[in-house]
Amino acid sequence: MDVEGSASDGSRQVRVRFVTKLRAPSLRVAAASIAVPSYLTRMGLSEIVNLLLENANPEHQNQPFDFLVDGELVRMPLDQFLLAKGISAEKVLEIEYVKAIVPKKQEDPCIHDDWVSAVDSSNGSFILTGSYDGFARVWTGGAVCTHILAGHNDVVTSARVINRKGHEGENNFYLATGSKDRSLRLWKFDAAEHVDHPLRIGAYKILPGHTSSVQSIASDPSSEMICSGSWDCSIKLWEVNGSEAAGDTVSIKKRKLNSTSSESEESQLEGAATSTLLGHTQCVSSVAWPHPQIIFSASWDHSIRQWDVQTGKEIRNMVCGKALNCLDIGGESSALIAAGGSDPILRIWDPRQPGTLAPVFQFSSHSSWISACKWHPRSWFHLLSTSFDGKVMLWDLRTAWPLAKIDSHNDKVLCADWWKDDSVASGGADSKLYITSGIEIH
Amino acid sequence: MKKEIPAEPLSDESKRSDSTDPSEDEELSSYYGEDGEENGESGGESDSSEDEVSSLDDAEDRGTNGDVIKSVEESDSSEDEVAPRNTIGEVPLEWYRDEEHVGYDVSGKKIKKQARKDKIESFLAGADNVKNWRKVYDEYNDEEVELTKEEIKVISRLLRGKTPHAGVDPYAPYVDWFVWEDKAHPLSSAPEPKRRFIRSKWEDKKVVRLVRAIRKGWIKFDKPKEESQFHLLWTDDSNAADNKRHGVNYIAAPKPKLPGHEESYNPSIEYVPTEEEKNAYQLMYEEDRPKFIPRRFESLRSVPAYDMAVKEVFDRCLDLYLCPRSRKKRLNIDPESLKPKLPSRKDLRPYPTTCYLEYRGHTGPVKSLSVEISGQWLASGSTDGTVRVWEVETGRCLKVWDVGESVQHVAWNPSQERPILAVALGHDVLLLNTGLGDAEVQMRIKELLHVEESKSSEDTGDHGSAVRWFRHDKYDGIVLKHFKSVSTVEWHSKGDYFATVVPTGESRSVLVHHLSEKQTKNPFRKLQGIPVSVAFHQKKKIFFVATKKFVRVYDLESQRMIKKLETGCREVSSISLHSTGDHVIVGSREGKMCWFDLDYSSKPYKTLKIHQKDITSVSFHRTYPLFASCSDDCTAYVFHGMVYSDLNQDPLIVPLEILHGHTRSDGRGVLCCKFHPRQPWLFTAGADSVIKLYCD
Repeated sequence: MDVEGSASDGSRQVRVRFVTKLRAPSLRVAAASIAVPSYLTRMGLSEIVNLLLENANPEHQNQPFDFLVDGELVRMPLDQFLLAKGISAEKVLEIEYVKAIVPKKQEDPCIHDDWVSAVDSSNGSFILTGSYDGFARVWTGGAVCTHILAGHNDVVTSARVINRKGHEGENNFYLATGSKDRSLRLWKFDAAEHVDHPLRIGAYKILPGHTSSVQSIASDPSSEMICSGSWDCSIKLWEVNGSEAAGDTVSIKKRKLNSTSSESEESQLEGAATSTLLGHTQCVSSVAWPHPQIIFSASWDHSIRQWDVQTGKEIRNMVCGKALNCLDIGGESSALIAAGGSDPILRIWDPRQPGTLAPVFQFSSHSSWISACKWHPRSWFHLLSTSFDGKVMLWDLRTAWPLAKIDSHNDKVLCADWWKDDSVASGGADSKLYITSGIEIH
Repeated sequence: MKKEIPAEPLSDESKRSDSTDPSEDEELSSYYGEDGEENGESGGESDSSEDEVSSLDDAEDRGTNGDVIKSVEESDSSEDEVAPRNTIGEVPLEWYRDEEHVGYDVSGKKIKKQARKDKIESFLAGADNVKNWRKVYDEYNDEEVELTKEEIKVISRLLRGKTPHAGVDPYAPYVDWFVWEDKAHPLSSAPEPKRRFIRSKWEDKKVVRLVRAIRKGWIKFDKPKEESQFHLLWTDDSNAADNKRHGVNYIAAPKPKLPGHEESYNPSIEYVPTEEEKNAYQLMYEEDRPKFIPRRFESLRSVPAYDMAVKEVFDRCLDLYLCPRSRKKRLNIDPESLKPKLPSRKDLRPYPTTCYLEYRGHTGPVKSLSVEISGQWLASGSTDGTVRVWEVETGRCLKVWDVGESVQHVAWNPSQERPILAVALGHDVLLLNTGLGDAEVQMRIKELLHVEESKSSEDTGDHGSAVRWFRHDKYDGIVLKHFKSVSTVEWHSKGDYFATVVPTGESRSVLVHHLSEKQTKNPFRKLQGIPVSVAFHQKKKIFFVATKKFVRVYDLESQRMIKKLETGCREVSSISLHSTGDHVIVGSREGKMCWFDLDYSSKPYKTLKIHQKDITSVSFHRTYPLFASCSDDCTAYVFHGMVYSDLNQDPLIVPLEILHGHTRSDGRGVLCCKFHPRQPWLFTAGADSVIKLYCD
């Protein structure tokens, strides 16, 4: 009741009504409007909601909330916010509250032998990481390294789980990795088998063809194709389940050439690229394949290009002025392009807006290059970005400030991904994979 | 005139009388005689009967005749204008005493004397006529005049000493028209007299005189004003007019400082130093101590003589005498207007501004950098004896070669097919296989870097043991052993030829090597000066050799010197070639950077004096219009250097950014700078063993 008490000290008051979309009835407050002092910040509002909830339910545990007014997160005192947004303080203000994001750091990170360069945690049961020591690893449950994918001769730059649901049964997964040894490798692994020590597995298929380091891999939604961007300025498309006969012939020819380096890889198949998309003039640093017919690519030649898979033609070319390192497609109806590069600004474009190439959002809280960005798989508003300044930031499109900063890493963060919708797995130059949980997005 | 006028009638009369009528003379004389008698009678009368009239008569008699006439003449009243009957004028009446006439009337006829009355007759007449006393005898006209009553009154008033007319009141009360008391304003209500509005006669005359003088040209207008001989003693001498007077080179002495409040005999309390302050003055150095310490005096009377007076005047004189005064030429030009019109930096983006990445790992000063042609890898050589290859994107150190000796220079082979790194250290040049590139490339490189021992020995025989080619056992490459220490190694853009510089090699100081043939040539046997750096032209067969003062340009085909660029610097430290090959920048050890346009002249097109200390490296960007220089003062400068294909248009040079960030170590700052081949990024290598990447 100190809310009413503080209201009498002569400051301005705003009549507000708290609403929520939270399902749990224990987190819903009465719809009646109350007067609150206008100087309240997020914390004050949170206290009020907690008080109201405690009045209704004595066993309520205090927890922080975040507040939305007209679809914008409140990040300053309420009166300033209303002034800035030009909202009248006379009317009853409807404030939606959601659970605030309080990242919980994982105490013991997954320690790698070398820098963690790639992470894919699109499957909830395990996390796939690629490392500078040339191995890709599978961390089951995000804690134990169960499988080591050995075979690359150089840095694994990209790792991707091709089929998220498990193509052949529940626990068989196809994985793809790209490396600086100019090849991609496809792996099969069974998540069901339990082992005490990490199991080394070999690639079932090698996809050589790039003439320079492979930078990025993306799989198409139907999990039948993958595409890869490389330092040789090209994007190549590969079939995951190509005809084995064709692959064999290629493999024999190749094996003769690099007879010195090839070891006992008799069981491995080799595949060729089905098509190559040419157009970029510099390293293709990131590719994304959000729709079966569309590939997006970002490059160091300062452009984001959109390709039509069927024809292999370039549909769109957006020039952004900076060398780009990362790209992801998501957000509202999976149409927004988020990209970051050689400056500390994370930019988001809406390609549906005609006639403009200006980014619709720019987030500039980082202090160094942005190394990775990733949209939340469910939410339209949330995305994360990692930077060489050692921070992972969570962004909400509804506010210009980062929702949360994760600074577990003490060196450059190179990669990050969402895991199980409420956690973030991030790997960096400190050779650690941190999993930060407690990020509930609603 | 008045005297002459009676003379004429006198002469005439006398003639006439003498000649024509002597009888008249007799009459006249008798008349006069009678008259004299009569006079005496009348005087007796007056005594007896009427005092006033007789006295009047006496007065008239006593006064000269001239007086009477005069009074007649001078009277301006209308009554007196009755002309006298006699016309003889103003002549003594004695002349007519003996005549029978007294004179002539207007028509010239003689006026006969009247018969004289004797005393009895006159007495009788006086007894008969009561008014007889009023009669007055007019001797001039020889008639008796009866005075009127008014005339009598006037006479009687005059006799009593009164004004002739009774109406005049000499003692009338005085009417004071003016107020004589003092008023605040001396206003007068008196009407302006008429004379104020009328010019006087003298003024008229003066005007006439002036007009005449002007007409005759005696008065001249617009006379040049004569300058006064005297000048103001206290004016400021610095103005131009005074200088003209004193001569052009005269410089006025500076004014001594005027006394202020401090020098007052009774200054305000805040000017007077306290005892503590005075004591503090004693601790100061002589020259810092204030010359004058203000003191307070009750009155001017108590002020003592100023003991410094003589000394100050003497000092002042010394100053004026000994201190030469010179005129400072100051241009009165707005300095902003002198700046060249440069485009805004915003329009020249992108260019490197901020350091985002650091490449850490070296333990000694990083002497040299080289970026692989694709821009993916960066090689660096350090004095700690290692050569490192870094991943540009992440700052990851990919490979380390411990060569065991301070590395002077590293250079990537510019060909993408040949990922070979040339390293200059000590007497050796190493050609290292970086292991990049795919399998086919690797195979070819292995073949390329295969040297047979026999071959190398042949080489030594041919070239006087300047260079020997050996296989490097440890790193599977080639080592070129030079006879003296090597400072620089530069590749040709095709990646097959490379040149090394042996600064102390004299006639064998610049050597050109052919990689695929494994041969060494020495085309510059007669090179003068100590070579510092070399560069290959990208397209033409032209070779640049920078010595300490000159840059020599050689045509490799005809094997002769085309051009000799005079840098004007004391010691050239580095040279960089524009991608077109027509422009060269040269950095020197005194901090100067020269831009040469080869089509333009052998003199620098622009010389930029920017760095405080030695320029260690200069670099052109391959594609962007950028160039940079770095120096031992721990800074790197980035410039916009636009080269136009139009030959008439000069290159545009705009300074863009000063990049700080490196720290000084052992007196060295930034040792090398190189541009990323495809991005507008600049790598700088510092003596603090860090490599920094500056991005746009």
